[in-house]
Amino acid sequence: MLNETIIFAAGFAVSLAVMPFHIKKMKKKHIGGIDVHKKDKPFIPQMGGLVVLAGITASILVAVMLSPETLSTSMSFLATILITGLVGAVDDFKTLNAKVKPFLTLFAGLPILVLHTYNPTGLVFPFIGQTRMTIIYPFLVPLVMAVTSNAVNMMDPFNGTMSGPCTIITIIMLLSALLLGRSEALVLCLCLLGPLLVFFFYNKFPAKVFSGDVGSLSIGAALGAIAIIGRLEVVALVALMPQIMNAFYGLSSMGRLYERREVSRPVAILEDGRLMATKDPTAPITLARVVLARGPLREDEAAKIFLVLATISGVLALATAYLIMVTP
Amino acid sequence: MIRRILDFVLILLFVWVCMILGLWVIDGVIVPMRLPGIAEGLLTSALKVGASAGLVLFWLWLWREIVKKMFWRAMRKQ
Repeated sequence: MLNETIIFAAGFAVSLAVMPFHIKKMKKKHIGGIDVHKKDKPFIPQMGGLVVLAGITASILVAVMLSPETLSTSMSFLATILITGLVGAVDDFKTLNAKVKPFLTLFAGLPILVLHTYNPTGLVFPFIGQTRMTIIYPFLVPLVMAVTSNAVNMMDPFNGTMSGPCTIITIIMLLSALLLGRSEALVLCLCLLGPLLVFFFYNKFPAKVFSGDVGSLSIGAALGAIAIIGRLEVVALVALMPQIMNAFYGLSSMGRLYERREVSRPVAILEDGRLMATKDPTAPITLARVVLARGPLREDEAAKIFLVLATISGVLALATAYLIMVTP
Repeated sequence: MIRRILDFVLILLFVWVCMILGLWVIDGVIVPMRLPGIAEGLLTSALKVGASAGLVLFWLWLWREIVKKMFWRAMRKQ
């Protein structure tokens, strides 16, 4: 218990200490973006994901020092998120093509495959139990990394709608790890939770920092890596349902992979500052647009709905973990 | 606000229940299925994978249609 507290505290403290300096530096260097959903269009410093990466790295190093037997799982987790972080950093400076980005994130699965830190027998389902997918499963690992990282990256329309739900998902995966006795997943969730809590504090409405793709891609990859290394794949699938729904609606309504800067905006801002869903039939049907379909909302109200959705899918994920536990 | 959340709760519940029921159908019906006239082997396995994949695709299609209908109906009311 003491070790776990120290692992969590390391990431939390590093992120908390570094974030104010990061915000100052980004402001000074004018690296950021316009918050398009505010009437006054403020400039917000970007790449807060770098601080999350620093926090996770600190936690991982502490975890390895405290229990050296976790070296291979910790290193594969760290390498995975650093690869997606690198892809995200490149995308933040030079927008990558809608097909290139998912392709590059496939490589995030390599450290898990090379260090063999996945469950070689395959997925564990409710009712079915342990499956034998020895041949197919290694091919699914890069795919899972690409899906989770890009699904999380796609669901960042309002302040705190990426960081908040991801924090809830991490807590749910942590509880599931406790329920199912998955110690690797427990440690990795603690490594992610500390930096995420700090980032959510700064990213919630009104945001003081944006994650950038460096943050959203690496946080998504971290959740995917925890699912694979910690054998929580089906639990993660249910917990990530709002993100998957968002990506699925967007892709199925457009009929192709798309970069958000190249399509019509699904959400518009009214005179009074409230947000509304656009009626443009060529705009993607994203979760944000579906949330606003019943009428305009303030940004903080819309962001709260995302948190409620994450909590509901989290409860369903816990129910899934329970069903896995009682499956013989 | 409550009405909006309720819409999503129903969709999430529908998707989750379908997933759990689908897994149960695959495990309890499709996998133990014996096809008359076809010996156990590659063909039977391929048919079972095909049936399971079909079930998953139907689930995704149903999910997409429900959301599309719900979205455009809400937009028209607005």
